[in-house]
Amino acid sequence: MVHALRRAGRYLRRGGMLISIRPHRTWRPAIAIVAGGRRLPVTTLLNPTFEVNLEAADLALERVVDEGSFALAGVRSARFRSYLDRPSQMRTYLELINPPRPRFPRGGRARLDAMWDSAPRGARIEVMESLVVNALRRR
Amino acid sequence: MNVTFNICHCQASYDSAVTSTELSAYPGEGFEPQLVEHFVSLRRKRVLEIGCGDGRLTFQYAPRALSVLAIDPDRPSIDEAIFQQHARGLSNIEFRIGSIERLPRPGAPFDVALFSWSL
Repeated sequence: MVHALRRAGRYLRRGGMLISIRPHRTWRPAIAIVAGGRRLPVTTLLNPTFEVNLEAADLALERVVDEGSFALAGVRSARFRSYLDRPSQMRTYLELINPPRPRFPRGGRARLDAMWDSAPRGARIEVMESLVVNALRRR
Repeated sequence: MNVTFNICHCQASYDSAVTSTELSAYPGEGFEPQLVEHFVSLRRKRVLEIGCGDGRLTFQYAPRALSVLAIDPDRPSIDEAIFQQHARGLSNIEFRIGSIERLPRPGAPFDVALFSWSL
C-alpha cells in the first residue's frame, strides 16, 4: 500500500491532491429495523479479515505523510444508509460487496429474522455503512 | 430501495438524502464526488483514478473533469466500463487495464489521484 501511494505521488503535480475513499475502519455496518419513526438496532456486521486491510491502509497513509512526500489536507467520515424491503434481500446486498464480505455475528441473522417476524407492517431493514475520505496534498 | 446519507466531520454533521431504486452496497449517485470536492474541485482537472472497477464512480465526476485516466486490473470490469462510456458518450475518459505499480509515466502530471475503494 505504501508503494502504491508513493507511485501515485510520482504521477501528481506538486500541490496535487491524493484522495482515498474506503470503508471506515471502526464504524462497522449496522443493521436495524425501522418502522413508524422508530429504529430498532439488530446487530453490527463483522469483517475481521478486511479490518486488517483497512488498518494497513491507515498506516500507509500515515507513513507517506511522515516521510514528507505528502501533507495531510483533511479527513472526513460519512455514513450512508440502504433500506431493504425484506430479510431475503440481505443476502443479495452482501453479495454486492467485494470479498472479503462482512458477515453476521453468531446469532445475528436469527435475531434479525425474529425481530422482522414481530415487526409491524411497513417496516424496513436499514443497513448503515460508513466510509472515510483522506485527502493528502503532494509537497 | 431508498438510500440516505449522513456526513460527519469533527463535531459538525449534516444530512443529505439520495434516493436509489437499485440495490447497491455503495453510496448513491453524487455522494462520493461531493465528499471529494470538499477537499478539491474536480472541475477541469486531470484525474488519475486507481481501482475504477466498472466506472461506477468515474461516470459521476468525469463530466466535470478535463480528462480521466481510470485503471483497474480486472479486465471484465474495464470492458463493462468502456461499454458504458460509449453508451454515455463521454470522450474524456481513458479506461485501462492495469495497476498503479505498472503504469507508464504519463506525459503530463495529474492534478488528482483518486483511490476509489482500492487502497
